[in-house]
Amino acid sequence: MSVQLETISEETVRQLSEERDEPEWLLEQRLDALEALDDLPFPDVIQTPGRKWTDLADLDYESMVDPFSQTEEKEWEADEGIDVLPFHEAVEAEESLVRDAFGSVVDPETNYLTALSTALFTTGTVIYVPEGVDAEDVTIRTTMNGRSLFNYTLVVTEKSSSVTILERQETGEDLDGSRYYSGLTEIVGGENAYVQYGSLQDLDQTTYNYQLKEAEVDTYGTVDFIDVNIGSRLTKASVETHLNGDSSETKMVGAFYGHDDQHFDIDARVWHNAEHTTADLVTRGVIDDRARSVYEGVQNVGREAWDTSSYQRENTLMLSDESEADASPKLIINNHDTEASHSATVGQVDQQDLFYMTSRGVNERLAKNMLVEGFYVPVLEEIEVEELREELTERVRERLRQRE
Amino acid sequence: MSSDQDHLKETDTEARFEFKKEEASAFKSEKGLTEETIRVISEDKDEPEWMLERRLRALRQFQEMPMPTDWPGQPDLSEVDIDEIVPYIRPDIDTRGGVDDWEDLPEDIKDTFDKLGIPEAEKNALSGVGAQYESEIVYQNMQERWEEKGVIFMDMDRAVQEHPEIVKEHFMTKCVPPSDNKFAALHGAIWSGGSFVYVPEDTTVNMPVQAYFRMNSEGMGQFEHTLIIAEENSEVHYIEGCSAPKYSSFNLHSGGVEVFVNEGAHVQYSTVQNWSKNTYNLNTKRAIAEKDATMEWVSGSMGSKATMLYPSTILKGPGATDNHITIAFAGEGQDIDTGAKVYHNAPNTKSTIESKSIAKDGGRTNYRGLVHISDGAENSSTSVECDALMFDNESTSDTMPYMEIEESKVDVAHEATVGKIGDEDVFYLQSRGLDDDDAKQMIVAGFIEPITEELPIEYAVELNRLIELEMEGSLG
Repeated sequence: MSVQLETISEETVRQLSEERDEPEWLLEQRLDALEALDDLPFPDVIQTPGRKWTDLADLDYESMVDPFSQTEEKEWEADEGIDVLPFHEAVEAEESLVRDAFGSVVDPETNYLTALSTALFTTGTVIYVPEGVDAEDVTIRTTMNGRSLFNYTLVVTEKSSSVTILERQETGEDLDGSRYYSGLTEIVGGENAYVQYGSLQDLDQTTYNYQLKEAEVDTYGTVDFIDVNIGSRLTKASVETHLNGDSSETKMVGAFYGHDDQHFDIDARVWHNAEHTTADLVTRGVIDDRARSVYEGVQNVGREAWDTSSYQRENTLMLSDESEADASPKLIINNHDTEASHSATVGQVDQQDLFYMTSRGVNERLAKNMLVEGFYVPVLEEIEVEELREELTERVRERLRQRE
Repeated sequence: MSSDQDHLKETDTEARFEFKKEEASAFKSEKGLTEETIRVISEDKDEPEWMLERRLRALRQFQEMPMPTDWPGQPDLSEVDIDEIVPYIRPDIDTRGGVDDWEDLPEDIKDTFDKLGIPEAEKNALSGVGAQYESEIVYQNMQERWEEKGVIFMDMDRAVQEHPEIVKEHFMTKCVPPSDNKFAALHGAIWSGGSFVYVPEDTTVNMPVQAYFRMNSEGMGQFEHTLIIAEENSEVHYIEGCSAPKYSSFNLHSGGVEVFVNEGAHVQYSTVQNWSKNTYNLNTKRAIAEKDATMEWVSGSMGSKATMLYPSTILKGPGATDNHITIAFAGEGQDIDTGAKVYHNAPNTKSTIESKSIAKDGGRTNYRGLVHISDGAENSSTSVECDALMFDNESTSDTMPYMEIEESKVDVAHEATVGKIGDEDVFYLQSRGLDDDDAKQMIVAGFIEPITEELPIEYAVELNRLIELEMEGSLG
């Protein structure tokens, strides 16, 4: 199942850790993850008999993973009153906090790629919002320059705090050959806390991208995810929320736009583990050219999750005949006191709408572009971060301008 | 007793069983189903060489294929020990005639028959008491006037003898090849009995063709094969009934259904199955619909310990249509994993899937579906609707649809809802004088109405009664 990487060994991990002057416990965690590699499967991908829809085991990690050439530029902007620290500064300054939270939401041994990420990460951010603090906006911008980059984002929020985070991934200088970006994000959502975490992935199309963002939500807490995928050659992105406290909530908003030969495999998963929890999953994506999208959405209602409300919608718009779309919205229901629904659609630009607009004198190309932009409106409406909303709109327009 | 039955007693039950016992020691070390067993089955049926060859090939495929174990949330098949399949067949060959006495039937089955109000004679037939040799279909209303028009409706074993050219062309070649899945391969190796339906061009069979429960000489009704061929512009409604529980000491049912819907033809396949609670029901059912043809599946899946069944339609010709209407009911200890598969392989094809499920007392229902739209299947549309009703917190209900879309000019929609039985609805009915049980039964009857209204009245009545029986004692 697993891939043997010649380029990494215990020595590699020890050296990375030493260069960063890490405490023993962190080195131990890295080494544990490294040791587990051989026995771990690749991330779950949906499959039907005879068909695996995204084959992550087939990627050439050997040529892409280069632990010592991890270089990046990072920018942080944040309000006062909260700690937003580069990961290794935080390990020094807030050691017990980081130690408690690290790996508590995302199990490093979830799969081969999470373990690889834990063993090799060199950069990241820790965001700590103390009790009662309302932090407005935190922006993190990561520009990847080397062959590979492993990034770690840890968000810890205390009781009744709130924060809005926008994280962006981009690529800087061009490189020959393909490269690999891996990002883990874990969010500890405190009691009655409100976290909005938005991500905009705009890596270049030579990059293979793996990201797992996972949150745990305490009583009355809310963690909302916005996950926008524009770039990369191939993306496997999972957004997962565990509603562990009574009356906790999550909203998961996804948007993607694939063109050329991009491949997006997107997951949105929610576990209802407590009473009166609510989840709303909304994803909209456009695929063009020879691009392919695979979507899996899971609403898992546990046995003790009384009075659950859970909704999921996924819509894919196909602009070309060579594109492919797969969708699988899943409902797993173990408590009967549940109101749940899911729906998914795949289709093309509505011909009647197009006809209506062209008959009003709008030329066909413009009309089509307007309809594609309009297709994203239900998702845009859910995005409360203005900057992200504008950026998505701009990137969609750019893509549409590039169409022949 | 007919002479057939005497024959059965003398030659099959005892002699062959003894023979096989001897053989068993000779190839004892071989795991699972062996070539020898297949040869015995084929020889006993006096089959032509080509059928034996097909069986043996299927056997090899079966032996090579792994068990399906990696589907998310699939029923636990660990008890289905392939190595035990042969040992299970043997004792049953021994008792192939079923039990000799009505009284020897398991209590719950007798009880169900009684409650269904099925007459004694029919009970005997249904339960396999006094089973008939060479499986004349126990309950068959094929009328002479259809025969005159060239409609053929007979037991599959007989069809191999009497219509070899048609069977040879269609039997597990294009629709359900044994290589399709492990249980299709198993079926291909040891199939026995079943129905053969052939409707000539431009012929409309305007009453349902029914095959009720039947036993055949091997006592392996659990591996029956149904082959339906509807020629151009013909129309037929085939009903396969196990609307009473099948009594069986087997614990594996692996049937195969192949339906050929030729240009402009219309086939409806309806089945209400209620297996005994120790049965693993692992079937493969598929239809190929040519240009402008229509295929309709109406199925009720009840009973069984675990069911994995996904009737599928390949919309091969332009303008072909598929409709699926299914209902699944899972009670205590049951895992009903069922759904529908549709392949849109031509332009202007259309499919609708309507699936309903009810789970209670710790039962599990799962809708697992696949809609595939191939590149070039322009202007195709599909709509999938799943509704699950749950009675209590021990039960579980999952919905796992898969959609693979390779063509842009399409319209694909999937929708599913899950809910508990509405307290307000129950309250409303109670305030009109119904007690709790009756109120809930009425809600369930309303919930499954889209299915029952597609069935002929006697089946609809039986389905309703079966569900009532399943719900009995579990409410209030």
